[in-house]
Amino acid sequence: MALLQATGITKRFGGIVALNGVAFAAEAGEVHAVLGENGAGKSTFIQILSGAIAADDGTLSLRDRPFRPANPREAERAGIAPVFQELSLVPDLSVAENIWFRRERRTWLRTIDRRDLLRRTARLLGELGLTRIAPDRVVRHLSVAERQMVEIAKALAADPDILILDEATSALPPQEVDWLLAIARRRADAGKLVLYISHRLAEVRRVADRVTVLRNGETVGTRSTSSLSDDEIVTMMLGRRLDRLYPERSTTRTERIALQVVGLTVGHRLQGVDLSLHEGEILGVAGLQGHGQRELFLALFGAARSRGRISVWGRDVAIRDPHHALSSGIGMALLPEDRRLQGLLLSKSVRENLILAILPRISRHGLLDLKREGTLVAEAVRRLQVKVSSPEQLAGTLSGGNQQKVVLAKLLATQAKILLFYDPTRGVDVGTKAEIFVLMRDLAAQGYAILFYSTDLPELTHLADRVAVLSYGRVAAVLEGDAIDEEAILHATLGERQAAA
Amino acid sequence: MAGIGPLLAPAAILLLLLAVLASLRRGVLTLDELNTDTAAAMTLILVATGETIVILRGGIDLSVGGMLSLATAIAATRGAAGPFEMAGWAALILAVGGGVGMLNGALISTLELQPFLVTLATWSIVGGTALIVLPSEGGAVPGWWVDAGAGTLFGLSLAVWSLAALLLWWAWFRRTRVALSIRAAGSNERSAFLSGVALGRSNVAAYGLSGLFAALGGLFLTSQTGSGSPTVGNDFVLPAVAAVVIGGTVLSGGRGGLVGSALGAFILTIIGNVVFVLHISSYWQPVVAGLILVLSVLATSLSDLAMARRDAAL
Repeated sequence: MALLQATGITKRFGGIVALNGVAFAAEAGEVHAVLGENGAGKSTFIQILSGAIAADDGTLSLRDRPFRPANPREAERAGIAPVFQELSLVPDLSVAENIWFRRERRTWLRTIDRRDLLRRTARLLGELGLTRIAPDRVVRHLSVAERQMVEIAKALAADPDILILDEATSALPPQEVDWLLAIARRRADAGKLVLYISHRLAEVRRVADRVTVLRNGETVGTRSTSSLSDDEIVTMMLGRRLDRLYPERSTTRTERIALQVVGLTVGHRLQGVDLSLHEGEILGVAGLQGHGQRELFLALFGAARSRGRISVWGRDVAIRDPHHALSSGIGMALLPEDRRLQGLLLSKSVRENLILAILPRISRHGLLDLKREGTLVAEAVRRLQVKVSSPEQLAGTLSGGNQQKVVLAKLLATQAKILLFYDPTRGVDVGTKAEIFVLMRDLAAQGYAILFYSTDLPELTHLADRVAVLSYGRVAAVLEGDAIDEEAILHATLGERQAAA
Repeated sequence: MAGIGPLLAPAAILLLLLAVLASLRRGVLTLDELNTDTAAAMTLILVATGETIVILRGGIDLSVGGMLSLATAIAATRGAAGPFEMAGWAALILAVGGGVGMLNGALISTLELQPFLVTLATWSIVGGTALIVLPSEGGAVPGWWVDAGAGTLFGLSLAVWSLAALLLWWAWFRRTRVALSIRAAGSNERSAFLSGVALGRSNVAAYGLSGLFAALGGLFLTSQTGSGSPTVGNDFVLPAVAAVVIGGTVLSGGRGGLVGSALGAFILTIIGNVVFVLHISSYWQPVVAGLILVLSVLATSLSDLAMARRDAAL
């Protein structure tokens, strides 16, 4: 009998049916992938399993007993540990406090035994090979990738029967992805169940024994991974064939330089970078986590203090802050890494999010021109094919891919011509990815200049006209044309200096 | 696991004020001065203790004003009570304080109401009740109660002993699971919920403690004044919030602690002494207090900024 079984699970949010009679079964000792497009219902399903929300209808059973967790604590007690896409770490608590939250050993005074807490954390992080994360660091001060790893450690601390990894690799650099896949495999081999939710087919293929595909809130089917080709999986997810993930290779690069950077330095992370980005070009940026790409993007957007020369369309500029970067004088916009935090106001409607960046353009004498606003919002929603019930839908209720589209629409509405894309496909499904790639190529063809960082190397090799590889805060190589391949990029990231910039 | 970093600014301000005071008048660094200053600050410290816990939870409690008044009003109608009877009344007052606070917390969680509005309403209700119990200033608490308030043990006043007990309690409380849950929920409700915090319960605990400490503050105040006032608490609401903020606790929740708030309460109290010794109009006291508040907020946000720069979180 299956360890975990679901039948007829249904969940509505207002008028939207998120899950419509989902059936699911998974055994102990397997890595079971759950796949589906944006809005297919994966996240909703996982949240029901982990007690974050309750199903409207249907039955769950765990070890052949009915299971209906009312809150995350009950699910945890039943042996389910989720690693949420939405990070569940408390920012003001330390790594140790977060990992053992409510599982701390206590002294005879009923106080939390701090020494035991730190000792156990150090041991756990050691076992997981995460010694570079200090147990007493406050989570607020960790990078997104480090937080994700702590989140994983937290889930593993309970030694759960069912580990749920929801897009857990989207925040991780490649070497940590390998680390996580190995952990998933090890747990399955030890007779535990791992539910693996990811948009990255390559990872699913490497680690999952079986896949269950959801589409529009319904189960399409469960198959063994080895029996399916990538194309078959994508077809199951989309309900149709996706012709291709990446757009036709073409370059629209002109001789005109949109953005030139000389000797850009930020703290000790970015040490004198020279780059030039042309009109109509997609310039890829590659590099291992912490090698300066984040600082590069922040500095260009005026969000980090930097030294060095930046010129835009041939004119030297000193970018004071993001507002200045977005202004018509410079016209540079950033698509940030963590869209939930920096890119979107989740509690505001899609319309409000869209107009925020362009208030001056749609107001007259300090008042909003509602007609103009309506036109611009409708145009933006249509242009990017955002799936919304109405522009008044709250951004927080959209699926990951649709949220990313809203962020993109917001950027394009600013009329910036230089676009800084920092990992734009993080946590985005295949269908939306393909749309974003086509859009990027379109934008380049329209004369936009795009600086494009991705943690996914195939994206860089397929899309970028040139790829600048950062290593230890410097440009280790600039690859062009046929020289762009994953192996060359990896070589350069390891600090083997090749062609000069 | 907050370091001592946030305490540096309030400690420095307090030392500076003490230094100014010591240069202008004798006897500043004596036990007597410690006894009087602590007695003067203790009511505010007690109210600020509850306020600290609520602010750590990410809320605000205005009802402490009404609760403090009600506590003095009830106590001041018991002038003839003996120790046993008074102990009973004190217990009742504390129970009312804790109960009203828990009700605040329950209303905020179950009805998902703004803490500001809920506690504004209960401030008015409880404050009004105080006026019904004791329509004007006056009344009397038992004489032995006042004697105890003025008495000393090993040269230290009741206030100093109370403060020591309070700090000891805090040293224990902040390490408990309840305190951690309150801090977690104040830091980020969603992630605290996903980590298994019962959000409603942590609200009930935080506001309950706040009401309890406000009532305790009222009881302490009557031991100093000997009488009651149905409106006295109103003068403590915003100073309590100010003391918490000056002490480095972040208004948005999650970060801070009692030691800073106690320093903040001392600062606000001693400003009065400094203004007095300088022979300038006492109207300068709120002006100086306001300036210090701005400086403290600045210090907190500057250290945050420095942290953010260092982490350069994209």
